[in-house]
Amino acid sequence: MADPAVMAGGFSAIVGRSGCGKATSSPAENYQLARRRTLQVVVSSLLTECGFESAEKATVESLTEMIQSCFNVDTLPGYAKRSQRMVITAPPVTNAPVIPKALIAGQKRTHPSHIPSHFPEFPDPHTYIKTPTFREPVSDYQVVREKAASQRRDVERALTRFMAKTGETQSLFKDDVTAFPLIAERPSSIPYLSALLPSELELQTLEETDSSEQDDQTDSENTPVNNLNDDPGADKENSVLPAGGMVPLVKVSEENMIDNPYLRPVKKPKVRRKK
Amino acid sequence: MHEIKMNRKKDKGFESPRPFKLTHQVVCINNINFQRKSVIGFVELTIFPTVVNLNRIKLNSKQCRIYRVRVNDLEAPFIYNDPTLEVCHHESKQRNLNYFSSAYTAAVSAVDPDAGHGELVIKVPSELWKQGDEMNVLKVYIEFSLDQPKGGLHFVVPDVEGSMAERGAHVFSFGYQNSTRFWFPCVDSYSELCTWKLEFTVDASMVAVSCGDLVETVYTHDMRKKTFHYVLPIPTAASNISLSVGPFEILVDPYMHEVTHFCLPQLLPLLKHSMSYLHEIFEFYEEILTCRYPYSCFKTVFVDEAYVQVSSYASMSIFSTNLLHSALIIDQTPLTRQCLAQALAQQFFGCFISRMSWADEWVLKGISGYIYGLYLKKTFGVNQYRHWIKEELDKMVEYELKMGGVLLHPTFGGGKDKDNPTPHLHFSIKHPHTLSWKYYKMFQCKAHLVMRLIENRISMEFMLQVFNKLLSLASTASSQKYQSHMWSQMLVSTHSFLKSISNVSGKDIGPLIKQWVDQSAVVKFFGSFAFNRKRNVLELEIRQDYTSSGTQKYVGPIKVTVQELDGSFNHTLQIEENSLKHDIPCHSKSRRNKKKKIPLMNGEEVDMDLSAMDADSPLLWIRIDPDMSILRKVEFEQADFMWQYQLRSIFLRYERDVVAQEESILALEKFPTPASRLALTDILEQDQCFYKVRQGACFCLAKIANSMMSTWTGPPAMKSLFTRMFCCKSCPNIVKTNTFISFQSYFLQKTMPVAMAQLRDIQNLCPKDVLNFILDLIKYNDNRKNKFSDNYYRAELIDALTNSLTPAISISNEVRTVDNLNGDVRLILEEITRSLNMEKLLPSYRNTITVSCLRAIRMLQKNGHIPSDPSLFKSYAEYGHFVDVRVAALEAVVDYTRVDRSSVELQWLLNMVQNDPAHYVRHKILSMLGKNPPFTKAAESPLCNEALVDQLWKLMNSGTSHDWRLRCDAVNLYYTLFGLTRPSCLPLPELGLVLNLKEKKAVLNPTIKPEQGPDTTEMTGNTMGVHIPVMGFTSSLDEGLITMETVSSVSMSSGVAPPPQGLKRKLDSVVGPLGSSPPEPGQVLQEEDSSKKFKIRFNTMEEDEIDMESPHDSQAFIHHHLNILERPSTPGKEPPAVDQAVLSLPVTPLPSSFSKESTSSSKHSGHHHHHHEHKKKKKKKHKHKHKHKHESKDKERDSHAFSNSPASGRSVRSPSMSD
Repeated sequence: MADPAVMAGGFSAIVGRSGCGKATSSPAENYQLARRRTLQVVVSSLLTECGFESAEKATVESLTEMIQSCFNVDTLPGYAKRSQRMVITAPPVTNAPVIPKALIAGQKRTHPSHIPSHFPEFPDPHTYIKTPTFREPVSDYQVVREKAASQRRDVERALTRFMAKTGETQSLFKDDVTAFPLIAERPSSIPYLSALLPSELELQTLEETDSSEQDDQTDSENTPVNNLNDDPGADKENSVLPAGGMVPLVKVSEENMIDNPYLRPVKKPKVRRKK
Repeated sequence: MHEIKMNRKKDKGFESPRPFKLTHQVVCINNINFQRKSVIGFVELTIFPTVVNLNRIKLNSKQCRIYRVRVNDLEAPFIYNDPTLEVCHHESKQRNLNYFSSAYTAAVSAVDPDAGHGELVIKVPSELWKQGDEMNVLKVYIEFSLDQPKGGLHFVVPDVEGSMAERGAHVFSFGYQNSTRFWFPCVDSYSELCTWKLEFTVDASMVAVSCGDLVETVYTHDMRKKTFHYVLPIPTAASNISLSVGPFEILVDPYMHEVTHFCLPQLLPLLKHSMSYLHEIFEFYEEILTCRYPYSCFKTVFVDEAYVQVSSYASMSIFSTNLLHSALIIDQTPLTRQCLAQALAQQFFGCFISRMSWADEWVLKGISGYIYGLYLKKTFGVNQYRHWIKEELDKMVEYELKMGGVLLHPTFGGGKDKDNPTPHLHFSIKHPHTLSWKYYKMFQCKAHLVMRLIENRISMEFMLQVFNKLLSLASTASSQKYQSHMWSQMLVSTHSFLKSISNVSGKDIGPLIKQWVDQSAVVKFFGSFAFNRKRNVLELEIRQDYTSSGTQKYVGPIKVTVQELDGSFNHTLQIEENSLKHDIPCHSKSRRNKKKKIPLMNGEEVDMDLSAMDADSPLLWIRIDPDMSILRKVEFEQADFMWQYQLRSIFLRYERDVVAQEESILALEKFPTPASRLALTDILEQDQCFYKVRQGACFCLAKIANSMMSTWTGPPAMKSLFTRMFCCKSCPNIVKTNTFISFQSYFLQKTMPVAMAQLRDIQNLCPKDVLNFILDLIKYNDNRKNKFSDNYYRAELIDALTNSLTPAISISNEVRTVDNLNGDVRLILEEITRSLNMEKLLPSYRNTITVSCLRAIRMLQKNGHIPSDPSLFKSYAEYGHFVDVRVAALEAVVDYTRVDRSSVELQWLLNMVQNDPAHYVRHKILSMLGKNPPFTKAAESPLCNEALVDQLWKLMNSGTSHDWRLRCDAVNLYYTLFGLTRPSCLPLPELGLVLNLKEKKAVLNPTIKPEQGPDTTEMTGNTMGVHIPVMGFTSSLDEGLITMETVSSVSMSSGVAPPPQGLKRKLDSVVGPLGSSPPEPGQVLQEEDSSKKFKIRFNTMEEDEIDMESPHDSQAFIHHHLNILERPSTPGKEPPAVDQAVLSLPVTPLPSSFSKESTSSSKHSGHHHHHHEHKKKKKKKHKHKHKHKHESKDKERDSHAFSNSPASGRSVRSPSMSD
């Protein structure tokens, strides 16, 4: 019944024509045209709703005329709420994003003479203001210690459990091998090294605690006679590990003067020594 | 004979036991192979004969394989015979320690260099005899090698990738007393001094450290090795020569450039720190002795797997690498310094000044120990010194009372066993090498205590003058060219020392020496007193116990200090034969409630609360021998004077002497009252009080608290004190973060939790409070801000947990499971597990925490909280763990062995004793087994069986011949387990063996071979071994097997393994072309009917002629040895008893002489002949006498054992080198 070709281009043809052709017409005309156009849309939608896929232009015109002439506004709400109505979504409208104006605080610094003007401006002066912020520290000593202790314990436990899970273990119980797993001991070829040398962690601690004290102690360290007193290790305080570090300096500077047979160069074999 | 030499005490000068004087020795080691653990080299001894016609030279050598000997470029024949390799030959059924000890002593005497003997006898070529009375120099040149030495030299070769230097492989000499013969032929005596030239060619990446001055280091031609040339111009005994070779890091002492320190790779920072103190010790000794350090240089070498912590040799000392520590470590610091000080003291007395004979050893040990004590006093303070003296005295007194006396200066008259000065001991003290290690330690302890007594008598000033005199005489002598009488000035003897004392001081110390040096044992006093009010006199009664073992009677002065209200008064009483009671007049009247300050000994005046005191008595306290100037134990009876105890507490507070304080603390343990509690708490709080006293007070307080359980008020003992001292003010349940700035506090902080954990509540459990407290200490321990390591502290907290453990309540014998674990124990176990696991990730210094955890786990097992299981400990005890960990684990295994009576574990331990690479660990196992024995002679045990007897017997008989100390340890263990007599678990010995012997030869060469029966399988393993002929022997041996009927006169109970039904007796009487050798003269064995003692006398070589002229196939001999060198002996393949023969292969040309010479020197005949030389014509009458008195009980004694010379050396001639 209808020519699909016409119907397909229906709306756009109408809108396009009216948009271009009557652009210069009067407001009244405009209103008429708009009303007509709306009615046409209505007719088209009614048709679609009724199952038509297309309609001839003339048919649409006549139906529009018919609605225009005998349109009862009162029945409109009832009709609008009919069950099989078709909802047409409005074509989306995109607005260009609004760029908010940057809040300018204070006077920006102007470029000094050596910076070409096309370079970006300096940031606002407040950029340069240092504002220290900190979380209110937990001042309760007990809580701090508690936290540190349990944190350490948790880390240790997790770590050892992990190591135990991923490696070989030894067990104290026969019934439940997984309870209290012990990381399996591993013989070492040179066991004294790990047993005697301080761990890196300890060395680190040492450095930290010493860095502050090292300076004050340098003097006392270089005095050859450490005080002898009743305390078994009292002078240890003065000779912490880097004390060893201090000694080579002395040694290096005196190296040339030290005549120690173990530092002498090894001699080349003499021919007459040969047997 | 050695006996005569030993008795040389009063001789004026030194007489050499040798017919020659050694003046110079060259030791050259050309090659040290770490891969094969072998050493090749030569020595050259320059000797001056002191007799006309010196035809024999005896030297010491063990283990060394000797290739050739030349005297002045002439090949010289030699004999090698080491009777100590196997002490009792044959499968002896004796098995009693008396027998072994006398045999062992005889064996050691037979090669004793102090008596002029030696294992190696070299015949001087006759061309050199005829030099008349011209004393011409002889140069004895000996080529030798060592292959996988089991003693003397220790190779440490870690099993990692890389070159030997990269692996940290090293080798060092070690030994107990004179043990240099283990690594090169020498006169291994402390009295034979000579100058030295030492050369060591080692890999270019290694350093060879030895005695004397390093003259130069020269590359070999291929530039891959270098030779270290040392010269030691100061006459020195071979026993004081040492060597260590390794890829050492070198540190020249920054304060003393002539002092050089050596340590293993990567340890240099520790070395720098640990050695930063040494110069002060040098200064100290040089100052007090007013004598410079005698050598021109000093070297310290730190090695792994050290035999002992400290060993001193001429101009160098070898230390355990485990003494090194960083600045983080507190506890090790004083210990390491003490070791350094000991080493240095021994440099002066022991190395530079040597001794004339073993009987003079006490002088050297005494002086070095004494000056070390002076160092302690100076460095660590008087308190520490007095504490140390008391500790040493108590230790020694305890040992002597338990084991019998320690004799400093033994004299042996006439060589009679009757004159054995120490019959109470199960070993002989004739030689250092027969001494138990513990005895030797106590010997050293007593020596320095006696020196202190001498100091008390003659004043320290004179004492130091005497030392200075000895040193200056020695240094004058040392700079002389060889003059025999001059060099002997460098040897100290008891006589010369005492003479010096009398010259310098003008005082007679004869009685003192007689009492403490010439005589063993200590004095045991019992004191009691009463106050006589009427006379105002203190009636003091001092009794002595001088009848118990290890005690002696004291006669002489004794000091008694009485503190009265008006002051402290010293009284010197005279202890005489019959006077027990002494009246001491009191100076002050008693006073009632009159407040006045009381003057103390040190001049202080104090207020005392005397309300607890008896109002009538002016006495406060009494001390007997307060200065420890008698080697004694004082037991002061308080009888019913209860207030005395209360006075103790007052005393403890006001007495300033640490020794008295410690004694009071001990006494207070018995008096649990609030007063004691208060006194102890006071002590704990006093900062100025010596920290060790405070530590002692902790444990005493714990004991008192337990006794006062029902009346104890307030929190658990020490808890509030600890909280006040070490916890935060704001939150008392949290311990302060560690600083350890005050060491006194540090030690107290460590000790208190350990002592608190000993507290018990009414259910005899550790109070919940205390346990939680300790757990909190662990939890809140924070070491982040500390510059010291807290490893020792944490370890002690684990110890505290261990102490808190009490036996689990178990329902019958239920198996311990995780589910029925007690809640508290679960918490403890949790901590232990975590700590032990953390150690794997962050190991602590010396693995202290692992050590404590292992102990804790053993305690959990012992108390039945977790299943008792040794496997964990066994894995930790394996080679490859840090030595402290191993020892802790082994201790647990030893304990398990005893508690569970496990023969599997006992075997495992004994295996380790035989096979472990570390000598110290072997020694430790045996001494721990001795301390905590699986069973004792007193009790029955399923472990005590024949196989074990055999095994231990073999261990001490031959398995430990490479290490004197270990052998003596084995003897000790045997003694602990079985006692002196035949172990009860052995079946009764077979009888009648000898009764049936009619032929004399059969007596001499008996070989008993028990029939193999189902019941004797255990022993056959061992017996068989002996009889397996040694290589190439069987073929030439015409074995005459005579089966002899053994008549058993005792009806065997069915429970005992029946004796063999028949015995095969193997006779070698018709062996070889030479026939059976007659017994050697001089070797006489007899069983004395009356004393049941065996006398063993050895003929010395002088008595018999050695046929060295007969032809030999020396080529074959050399070949054979080269073969051995190529391929190390594999003892495992041989049957057990032959094992020894094989082991001895490297040192004896045994097999070759058997096969090549086809003599009768089979093992069988060899057993009986001390020196078995084949003499074709010599037919001496048998001197073996077999007097068998068959007492009813001894009847069945297998007498063939007597016929075996206990110490008969397997002597084998070596062929002369004809080419």
